[in-house]
Amino acid sequence: MNRLIAATALLMTSAALANAEGVLNLYNWGNYTSPEMIAKFEAETGIKVTITDYDSNDTALAKIEAGGHGFDLVVPSANFISIYRDKGLIAELDLSKLAKHSNIAPEWANVEWDAGRKFSVPWQWGTTGVAVNTSVYGGDINTSSIWLDPPPELVGKINVTPEMNDVVNLAIMYVGGLPCTEDTAILKKARDVLVAAKPAWMSMDYGMEDKMAVGDVPASVYWNGGILRARLINPDVVYGYPREGYIVWMDSVALLSDAANVDNAYKFLDFIMVPEHAAMISAFARYANGIAGSDAFMPDDMKTAPEVVIPEEFKAAGHFLPTCSPKAQEYVTAIWTELQK
Amino acid sequence: MRRFSITSLPGFTPIALLAFVALYLPIIALVVFSFNASKSMSVWGGFSLHWYESAWANDAMRDATTRSLVIAGWATLISTTAATLAALGTTRTAAFRGRTFIYGMVNQTLMVPEIVTAVSLLIFFAAIKVATGYQGLAYLVLAHSIWCMPLAYLPIRARLEGMDLALETAAADLYASRWQTLRRITLPLMMPGIIAGAMLAFVTSLDTVVITEFVKSAGQDTLATFMLGQLRRGVTPEVNAISTGLLVLTVLLLAAFFLITRKRG
Repeated sequence: MNRLIAATALLMTSAALANAEGVLNLYNWGNYTSPEMIAKFEAETGIKVTITDYDSNDTALAKIEAGGHGFDLVVPSANFISIYRDKGLIAELDLSKLAKHSNIAPEWANVEWDAGRKFSVPWQWGTTGVAVNTSVYGGDINTSSIWLDPPPELVGKINVTPEMNDVVNLAIMYVGGLPCTEDTAILKKARDVLVAAKPAWMSMDYGMEDKMAVGDVPASVYWNGGILRARLINPDVVYGYPREGYIVWMDSVALLSDAANVDNAYKFLDFIMVPEHAAMISAFARYANGIAGSDAFMPDDMKTAPEVVIPEEFKAAGHFLPTCSPKAQEYVTAIWTELQK
Repeated sequence: MRRFSITSLPGFTPIALLAFVALYLPIIALVVFSFNASKSMSVWGGFSLHWYESAWANDAMRDATTRSLVIAGWATLISTTAATLAALGTTRTAAFRGRTFIYGMVNQTLMVPEIVTAVSLLIFFAAIKVATGYQGLAYLVLAHSIWCMPLAYLPIRARLEGMDLALETAAADLYASRWQTLRRITLPLMMPGIIAGAMLAFVTSLDTVVITEFVKSAGQDTLATFMLGQLRRGVTPEVNAISTGLLVLTVLLLAAFFLITRKRG
């Protein structure tokens, strides 16, 4: 009992102490924030950063919409930024307070979901493609047929990451559509292809960094950064960019409308747009960052990594997931539900 | 004729063994790989205490563990006290109108899916957080107390219903006051039920994910939500190390409980 009270008191006082020196509450995906970068920020500014994790865009949105959350900054994916903005949950940035705003790389400075970057600054971006262990299958891997119409060597050995929007839209692109299409003929084809391919999959799971590295899983639909980590351990693992279309995604940091520590939040936003700091973020989670000049500070194994630097010939096949219309989203959900049966 | 016994049914032994293997093999694997020198969760790379060191050095993980234990401690205290009172109130009184209703109310969180409780608490607490500006741990403690209460209530009530009423009647016959009877007869007799209820409540609070995820304010990750957050970006064996630590703690608690009750008996 005394222990319990002591521990409670400790938790309370540490929170109170931190308050006195200025705090910042970052609400971010789990295991996505570089501790070194946070330590440097705290040392330079004296602001204590508290990181709280979430595991999906939907959870984060639900909590922030409910209010009273106490967060200052959130890191939604591109297709969620407009939802936050339209609901008035994130504030328009005062660009005069962000001296480093011009560091945003040109291709990320004026994006479809946030024209002129008035609401968000880049955190990390990546792609969703296919990864194959080349000791099991040596053929062409830059195609979604790896998992939608698999070669005999890979039947029963494929993992598909359980991300509804990624998986369904990859299938839509495979059958010739565009993400978030409302064309029912295309949608039917995509559904049929998915349902027909499912018996050839071994699992729908996360954690391929490890499972592909040790060879437990010979092929998977997965994120580039995770596969980079796997390849560094096991050189047989290769990341492919499906030529029928693969997904490009970006998570960006936005300032919440009801943030309590606005000045500190601006300091943080400016801080992460310094190339050296952006590179620290990338070095931790292994995704690219969208800040010009950060390449010079990147770890050597990332500078030329084919998982991070998209080869010129595949660039055109990359598609951003837009915010689907409610109708299109309904179709995506329906296909996903059927696939889960 | 041989007496009927479940243990003599054909297939009893293999099924029991299978059940034990299915229950304990994953736990054993978890413990074994917490001592793995390599980062892999499936390939053995030699013995090492590396993951224990790095889990200990990981501030976020250590904070989350402390927070989990503190919340579980308070939630156990509150829910077990409330459950004991509720159990006394629903078994040691003459039948009254609305008793079934009270059963239903107490056990409500067992019937309602966790996500429903979580979302309603999110909305309710968010309104209070906005109105009062207070964002402390009390919300999580309260939410966990509500969630754990039926789990504490059921074993306590079962114990009370199974107890010999004659002892309490005898105490009353011997001019013990109601308070004395409760203090000297009823409470000591129901103690095993209370301890069982408290343990269930504690363990349930430790692994409540959905409610915690929705109710937590800034900086209030518990071990469960911390692990959930790691899922998509690759879990490290630090998680194994910390789980093994909790497992050892649980086993120690159980052993202590066993030794104490055996001495008394």
